[in-house]
Amino acid sequence: MSSLQRSVSSAFTIAEMEARKLRHDSTELWMRTVQPALWLLVFGEVFNTIRGLAPGGYSYIQYIAPGVLAQSVLFIAIFYGITIVWERDVGLLTKLLSTPSPRISVVVGKALAAGVRGIFQGIMIFALALIIGVNLRFDPLDMAGVLLVSVLFAMCFASLSMTLASFLKTRDRMMGIGQVITMPLFFASNAIYPISLMPAWLQSVSAYNPLSYVVDGMRAMLLTGDYSGLPVDILVLLAFTIVFILTSSVLLKRLIE
Amino acid sequence: MTVPQQLEAASGPEESVSPTAVQVSGLTKVYPGGTRAVDDVSFDVKEGEIFGLLGPNGAGKTTTIKMITTLSKPTAGTIRVFGVDTRSSPETVRRMLGFVPQAISVDGDLTGYENLLIFSKLFYVDREQRSKRIRDALELFGLADRADDLVKHYSGGMMRRLEIAQALVNRPKLLFLDEPSIGLDPYSRLQVIDHIRELNRNFGTTILLTTHDMAEADELCDRLAIMSLGKIATSGAPKELKRSVGGDVLTVTSSGKLPDSVPPELGKVASSGQGTMKILTVDGEKAIPRITDFLEASGAVVESVSLSRPTLDDVFMKYAKGSLQQEGTYKDARSARRSATRHGR
Repeated sequence: MSSLQRSVSSAFTIAEMEARKLRHDSTELWMRTVQPALWLLVFGEVFNTIRGLAPGGYSYIQYIAPGVLAQSVLFIAIFYGITIVWERDVGLLTKLLSTPSPRISVVVGKALAAGVRGIFQGIMIFALALIIGVNLRFDPLDMAGVLLVSVLFAMCFASLSMTLASFLKTRDRMMGIGQVITMPLFFASNAIYPISLMPAWLQSVSAYNPLSYVVDGMRAMLLTGDYSGLPVDILVLLAFTIVFILTSSVLLKRLIE
Repeated sequence: MTVPQQLEAASGPEESVSPTAVQVSGLTKVYPGGTRAVDDVSFDVKEGEIFGLLGPNGAGKTTTIKMITTLSKPTAGTIRVFGVDTRSSPETVRRMLGFVPQAISVDGDLTGYENLLIFSKLFYVDREQRSKRIRDALELFGLADRADDLVKHYSGGMMRRLEIAQALVNRPKLLFLDEPSIGLDPYSRLQVIDHIRELNRNFGTTILLTTHDMAEADELCDRLAIMSLGKIATSGAPKELKRSVGGDVLTVTSSGKLPDSVPPELGKVASSGQGTMKILTVDGEKAIPRITDFLEASGAVVESVSLSRPTLDDVFMKYAKGSLQQEGTYKDARSARRSATRHGR
């Protein structure tokens, strides 16, 4: 096996490990769907009565469906740093890092596992939208595209979270930073209202917000069918993901020193 | 890491026949803040032996092991594992070694079988050999009927056995065991010790272990080193070390009058009074009849003679004494306690 083959095989093994755990106990996965369901069923339904909030003549609930999906993937991914700190605390990380597998495989494997959870969220949102009758473009190719973006997005923020974990090192601090990051990202994005409604300063912040690009891409595929912004959305996301995976692979050893 | 490097490591003329499993020289680790956890340590572990690294909490044992397993970078010094430098080819080194850390490191959310499967994949064990080795290991370690249960429902002894079973599946040339029997009940402890010995005998696995249990070290180790305050205080075979702290002690009780001294070729009187006498001697068993004869000849009526040999405890106390005043850190205590409770479940 070449060193590249080994890295890829190890990354998939780590992802397999996480997937097997989810198969043994999927309670968390189901509980994670409660929050997006609330956003759609309560928040979405209430604001649906206000006309003109969403641009392009879409109903509000249609408009926020992609945003709610992106947000729920973000919330799952950002807490991956806590998992890795916990694994450090019980000695599992030491064990993983003492195997011949390269560090980058451990990071990519964990990130892929976050992606698996992202796919599950995507499917649940699709199902929910069908049940409550939200009119999305249920085109197989578009849906596959949305799931792919979910995976990439989950990988991006899972590896950001693991990078942060190597500096913060404790579960308590990671819980704190999770809140500090997710809420501002969420509110400074186009997830639940269009950027054009924001004050000027927030609009310029939003331009650097990866969540905005993700929501934009998902909205293109689920709602508008206008793919003109999609290449930029995916490139920005890909760039962030690669940077965070690399920083996390280099810094991971700080956790066990 | 590149493929040529790896081939070199496997077939290089000097490296493959090297009888030295681990060669540590001038190893030093200074943590940020200036703590010298390991201070200019040098030792060799021969291929095929069981080597013990002993010492009080905070002596630098775990840090030393972390550096050999490439988990931590040395501040200075070199480490070669079967001739391969840990700094230049860490992944080649890791392919040769197995590591059982102090805290239980099997994954409680996976089954016993899955733990062995996942880690054998991470060690790149051949697909053809994998399932047979896993089945054999589960069988040998008495875990076959619990293989499909989640590990969090295992007892502490079973978890430890599963960790050592991983070594049987992955077949490392060198296995590190950090406090393998901490927190185990006597029966589980014996089982674990037997399994360690089996690995060493049947597969020629070189084993490096740390322990606080001197009886265990005496029983298992071919050679050992005692660390204290980041340095190696002494090293050698258990027998030699015990000899080095003094000979055997004979305690004689007598109802008659005991002489003040004994001829120097028999031994040396350490203390005497109230009908008992302690005599330091070299070979206690052989000295008993000669000393009894001498004492009776000089008017004593010997009632009992007991022989006590120095144990590794005495060796430990002699060399580690200085650092025992300095207690282990909070972190050490916490991790030892934690593994003890996890085992005890």
